[in-house]
Amino acid sequence: MIREKETTLYLGPQHPGITGNMMVKLKVQGDTVVKATTHVGYLHRAFEKLIEQRNWLNAFTLLCRFCVPEPDPMELTYARAVEELDNREVPERAQYIRVIVMELARLQSFMLWYAGQAGSAGLYTLGQWSVGDRNYILDLFEELTGGRIYHMYIWPGGVRRDVTDTWKDKVLKTMDYLEKRQDDYNQLMFDNTIFQKRAKGVGIVPKDKAIEWGVVGPPLRGVGIKSDVRIDEPYEVYDKLDFEVPTAEGGDIWARALVRKEEFRQSISIIRQAIEKMPKGDYYNKVPNPMKWVVPEGQAWAKTESVRGEIGFYVVSNGTNKPYRVHAKGAAYTHGVTVLEKILPGQNIADISFIMNSLGVCPPEIER
Amino acid sequence: MTELIKEQHLLDSLTSAFKIKGRVIRDRRVEVFADKKMVSGILLFAKKQLGFIHLAHMTCIDWIDENKFELIYTIWSPIEKIHLFVKTKIERENPEMENIDSIWDQANTYEREIREMFGIQFPGLIGEQDFALEDWDEMPPMRKDFDTKKYALETYYQRPGREDAKDVRETISERSGTKVPDFAKKYSREK
Amino acid sequence: MINDKDSQKIVDYIQNFARKQSLFVMAYGTGCGAIEIPATMTSRYDAERFGIRGAATPRQADVLLITGYLATKTLKRVIRVYEQMQEPKYVIGFGSCTINGGMYFDSYNTINALEQYIPVDVYINGCMPRPESVISGFVKLQELIQQGKADNGKKYRENLEWYRTNQKKIIKNWKMPDYNW
Ligand code: SF4
Repeated sequence: MIREKETTLYLGPQHPGITGNMMVKLKVQGDTVVKATTHVGYLHRAFEKLIEQRNWLNAFTLLCRFCVPEPDPMELTYARAVEELDNREVPERAQYIRVIVMELARLQSFMLWYAGQAGSAGLYTLGQWSVGDRNYILDLFEELTGGRIYHMYIWPGGVRRDVTDTWKDKVLKTMDYLEKRQDDYNQLMFDNTIFQKRAKGVGIVPKDKAIEWGVVGPPLRGVGIKSDVRIDEPYEVYDKLDFEVPTAEGGDIWARALVRKEEFRQSISIIRQAIEKMPKGDYYNKVPNPMKWVVPEGQAWAKTESVRGEIGFYVVSNGTNKPYRVHAKGAAYTHGVTVLEKILPGQNIADISFIMNSLGVCPPEIER
Repeated sequence: MTELIKEQHLLDSLTSAFKIKGRVIRDRRVEVFADKKMVSGILLFAKKQLGFIHLAHMTCIDWIDENKFELIYTIWSPIEKIHLFVKTKIERENPEMENIDSIWDQANTYEREIREMFGIQFPGLIGEQDFALEDWDEMPPMRKDFDTKKYALETYYQRPGREDAKDVRETISERSGTKVPDFAKKYSREK
Repeated sequence: MINDKDSQKIVDYIQNFARKQSLFVMAYGTGCGAIEIPATMTSRYDAERFGIRGAATPRQADVLLITGYLATKTLKRVIRVYEQMQEPKYVIGFGSCTINGGMYFDSYNTINALEQYIPVDVYINGCMPRPESVISGFVKLQELIQQGKADNGKKYRENLEWYRTNQKKIIKNWKMPDYNW
């Protein structure tokens, strides 16, 4: 066997395959990665510092920008932490609305994932379909909240606006459409031999190390461990809804794709149930004067489930109208650094962006 | 208090093994306050004996009035479904903390970030000095005495016109020559 | 005949017409605005109608789209990318962050006005701009190209000193090859 020389290769920050603005420094031997080091910080804009300068509600404009593909879990998690500090009750109707918004956010994020995962394998048609269809969900958001991507809709104490019956009908119609469309996506993706060959046995997360490395969310369920914040620590009204947490065996890209495929179905079913069960009533337990609102002293930790895994917020108040410290930990924080560095050695260069997409690496969430 | 048996039991097993104080915050939340030197022992004990195998997050708070940094380790047990917070306070001058990335590999990332943002040293930490910043030569930016606005004003070019956006209502009323209605005044940010 | 003024005009017209109809956009998402680019490029908004499509490397790209806030670390890479691009090259500042810092005006790590560091042809405001406004920004750029007003590559070359001083003020460790055109 010919020993090939080790070369250093910089992948990113400007690289079409990288899932965002980050860099992976590789030591390669021929086509095989020997060592990978991730470099982040290209999107560091000092969120946590800036939130300390804003008041409790102004922080929401910053919060949703923590992770761009899926902003709503950030709002919910922070709102829940603040509610815990303030002992603020959330009306039941608002909890149902929150669940619907969260699941819609999951759906649109899954559709981006479909596009990214297929696109990095060279299947560009799927991207055209799913990102095009994603606009239907964004339209729903726009009607409800006024924004396509960023909503700032979930607030401590509830949500900002009530939902109407016409909106609910539209959601149901969109769900019917998406359910049909998902079969098309799956046909393009899972029945495709290219995808199967590239996904099976690539990017394996070992089962015994997974929790140690901080793997959460779909990648953890992909190794056969059933873990989901919605079940482990039910928040809002998830305990009143009937849904399954899918798992798969193997820990490779294929397993993670299977998990996500099933979760897409579950999200649609959750939305349908939530719309059906939503009670009448209040939607907002009003915060006094947003500019002068003081949150009692204390520390709180809240976590929710996003598409990439658990998201946690540690919020500290010192009894003023500004947060004293907010720390956010998203799933990509471990997926994008530790896990990526551990599983890349031994893989091909061509598979890197494929693996990054399936782990759900989201750079703005890492460096914030 | 009948529902909190699990939490109380956990707290008891921790306080009997180590001489530490702690409390049950609510269901699924237990916190203990430990001395700096005991933290890694507690974490290792919790991981190996009590099933807290997942490090959910780790952070640092700058209590500038007390002249202390507070480090918080949040760990999670998938079996008991409890969050345990291990909290410790360290001095603000020449801060140094034990490196725990031999217990959890992922702690390395957190520690690198804390080292950069707060200037806390973790002896034996592998990894490049820079995490998110590049060529930073000021004080670690997440410390409370670092004034980000002042730094931004001094360093970056400011486009004129930003300053009159302080209160949108008043600016609009000035430009259009109308008065701010009374009900809107109470939301003004100036007072 | 070839040197006469009127025929030069015709040549310019044809050249500009051809240029404006095929804008290859550099695929570099520098900020959160990048999330609307897939939506703009795919079936509903279909920017390819206007000849706008992605390019993978700076050498093949015409348009550098700065999609939002620029951390100083990224600014260094953006300058590098911009200097590698072949003329004619255009820059579109996307979102209020590029105009005046947007909501990050007091952040220690993001720049506040893009045109201090590289010349900008068109700004699109909004936080974040919708796909429609992205397309209208591109149409504006096409108008400028047709009129022959978009020659910022030349401007950058001629005022390199000024741009360099601004850039070096922020990038403390300037370890980049000096690009000669
Ligand atoms: S203008 Fe808004 S959407 Fe665009 S980068 Fe800035 S914060 Fe993000």
